[in-house]
Amino acid sequence: MAEKRRAGAVMSDSASAKCESDREFLSQAGVSALLRGALLKLVESRPEDPVGFLAEHFAHLSSEAEDGGSEHQAVSRALWHLSLAHHSQRSAFNSNIRVAYELLTQCGRRQRGVGGVRGRLYTETLQCLCSEGGLSGTTASPLLRRIQCHDFESVPFELFRQGVLTCSVFADYIRKSQCLYAAVASAPDRPAERTLCQAVLATLREALETADGADVARYLEASAKISPAKVALAMAEAHPGKQQDGPTMDAQEFEDAAAALFIARVRMVT
Amino acid sequence: MSAEAVSCTIKSPVALQIGDAVSDSSRPGVYITDITLAEPVNIQEISFKNYYTAYLTVRLQRREESSAKWVTCLRNYCLMANPHAEAGSHDYFSIYRQQMLTEPDNVTTVRLILRQPSSEWLNFSIEEINIYSCAKEDSEGDVPAWLSTLTPVEEPLDLNGLPDPETVSSSIQQMWALTEIMQASQTAASIGRFDVEGSYDIKLLSYT
Repeated sequence: MAEKRRAGAVMSDSASAKCESDREFLSQAGVSALLRGALLKLVESRPEDPVGFLAEHFAHLSSEAEDGGSEHQAVSRALWHLSLAHHSQRSAFNSNIRVAYELLTQCGRRQRGVGGVRGRLYTETLQCLCSEGGLSGTTASPLLRRIQCHDFESVPFELFRQGVLTCSVFADYIRKSQCLYAAVASAPDRPAERTLCQAVLATLREALETADGADVARYLEASAKISPAKVALAMAEAHPGKQQDGPTMDAQEFEDAAAALFIARVRMVT
Repeated sequence: MSAEAVSCTIKSPVALQIGDAVSDSSRPGVYITDITLAEPVNIQEISFKNYYTAYLTVRLQRREESSAKWVTCLRNYCLMANPHAEAGSHDYFSIYRQQMLTEPDNVTTVRLILRQPSSEWLNFSIEEINIYSCAKEDSEGDVPAWLSTLTPVEEPLDLNGLPDPETVSSSIQQMWALTEIMQASQTAASIGRFDVEGSYDIKLLSYT
């Protein structure tokens, strides 16, 4: 890298073509802002492969600058942005959603003047999000039926954000339910007792159905219902004695039952 | 603490004077006001606005098993530190049951004895009298049901063969928290699927 030369230094004729110092050149090209943005994104998402991440970042930037690309490219770029932060990192996640929304809106702008994302793109984004989150088609389809939009409809930002957040949270939820099933099953290779599974799911449903009231009171009441002592009590009542030969519930059924509890609380899009 | 005052009838003040009330021209220094309560009340608080009264004595008539007894619950309570001066003349006062000499329970009548020894003031009284009763017993004992079940069970549960409740509970808690996050982020935004320029008409569904 060339050494910095102070602006206004004496220059020879041969170097007069480069009549600006390195610092001016960099500021004109806007490179410092570019690098700053790239480093911020890197720190926000902390990927395992920083170099690959930076490569993807610059590739996306250059393809956006071309202002071309098919809808499929737009969706994949939007998905890449959405994968940068976990939904628990609230502000980073929200800003990524905003960027993805802008990308998808611009993609369809040529055809119609209405703002918002085309329904088809929105549905496609949600489907890819679910599959990237490890959800199978059968698990995700009841959820998608509730929140997807028709192809011709135009999705505003609030709905877009809500849909994306719901899918991300649902993916985490299903993963947790798989851990729960593993905890309830006495051995990794044997399915869990049906009565135990039902008791555990009933505890969760009771906590979710806590009556409306002030938020704090509701949280306290729900957390009292799922404390370890209450859970132990529920399990002991459901499974007294040591009969190991009772009917069992397999992992898929448990997952579907847990998913149903979540999906029942998702608001349908109208 | 109840927010509403108990309904009561306040009689007009009676002046205590020596001599004939009609012919005597001197101003009285003592007024007596009676307040009758519709039903026996356990008094929590008596609040009023002062108007140049210097000293207040409160007597209560309590309903006991067979008889009605008069007791003094506040004697010469000073409302104005200097009866000749303005301080305290227009103040708001509250008298709580803790300040009273006897328990103001089952009270049927309240008698307020107002004294103003100074000759400065033409008239004196107290206004806006409100009597508040004690809070009901069951509202104080109104503990939510789940709170009373928080204490751990005394005898240890037989957890033979059952999964570890700590792990199970922690997974359930996280699932519950994720559902709450989803519910909290639900917005009322709609896509206007059935809107026709803002109105809902099922015969005129349009594709916008």
